[in-house]
Amino acid sequence: MTAPDLDAELMLRVKDGDGSSFGVLLDKHRVSVVHFLYRMVQNHAVAEELAQEVFLRVYRSRATYEPTAKFTTWLFRIATHLALNALRDGKHERVLERLDETSSDLPARQVPDVRPSVEQSMVYQAKLEEVRRAVAALPGKQRAAVLMHKYQELEYTQIAKVLNCSESAVKSLLFRAYETLRARLAHMA
Amino acid sequence: MKCPMETREYEVLLAYSSHKLDAAEQSLLDGHVESCPACREFVLAQRAVCDALDAWEAGPVTADFDRRLFRRIDERVSWFDRVVRPFQWFGFRHVVPIAASAGVVLMAGLLLQRTAVMPPGPERDTAQMEALQPEQLERALDEMDALSQLSRPVHADGADSAM
Repeated sequence: MTAPDLDAELMLRVKDGDGSSFGVLLDKHRVSVVHFLYRMVQNHAVAEELAQEVFLRVYRSRATYEPTAKFTTWLFRIATHLALNALRDGKHERVLERLDETSSDLPARQVPDVRPSVEQSMVYQAKLEEVRRAVAALPGKQRAAVLMHKYQELEYTQIAKVLNCSESAVKSLLFRAYETLRARLAHMA
Repeated sequence: MKCPMETREYEVLLAYSSHKLDAAEQSLLDGHVESCPACREFVLAQRAVCDALDAWEAGPVTADFDRRLFRRIDERVSWFDRVVRPFQWFGFRHVVPIAASAGVVLMAGLLLQRTAVMPPGPERDTAQMEALQPEQLERALDEMDALSQLSRPVHADGADSAM
């Protein structure tokens, strides 16, 4: 017996005119959607712009919403579609430029008690840059599959529905993606 | 147990590397990985990848994200709303007096139809006007009712005015 999809129930309330349920869904999924899109396009401003478009489309679809899949599957399908379009349309070119810059896009490292030394900070930034480049080198669908698998912890069946492919195709995408990442990042062990 | 690398069951090794198998499966693979160089190499490399990806923080969402989103929701008015919105003011401000006037005219028309004797050969234009006026008013009233029901502005918090 599958667990009830509480997000789908909230969305059905939005369909019935309950605007506060949309706020609950936004609070619950805002960060994960923005973070997914950031790791896809590797630009904070573009990621937030795309995330706004995701939630705008969710809201505008409320009248015709039907819970044919898990809400998160539908949500990430919209997000992945927009991200892949952005990558295809050239927004990734801005990303490649930013990878070569000393970017203020890079988040400050959060170390609660001890300030990192300059050397530690530089090592951390270099490691982060290597991770970003490795992920940026993945083709769009492989990148999306890895990000959904690693950070969103979506099941293979969900990722398959998001990417509109078979479960075996998802496993193949993930195998190739992780193989590439292992080749580039295994030395960090 | 069968070697996952030989059987190409890489998803098992991915799950094992991320400690996502149940305790029994994890324990079973612990023993295998210890004795299988191929699986051990895969697991070590995969864990390095996972650790590296874990270190990749995405940063906070900007504080005005929601405000900008709701402004976009407000601005993205559908084409139908653009047609209806000009009539919204008219419907809210004038529907009551017009409804009252139309009601009076309809009543008068019905009374005239019941009691009046049709004069021979009325002027065609006048008869047509008398016959048409109540219908025109009734149609106009129906249309205004429909327009006023359909015009629902979206507030800044994303809530429908009907909520």
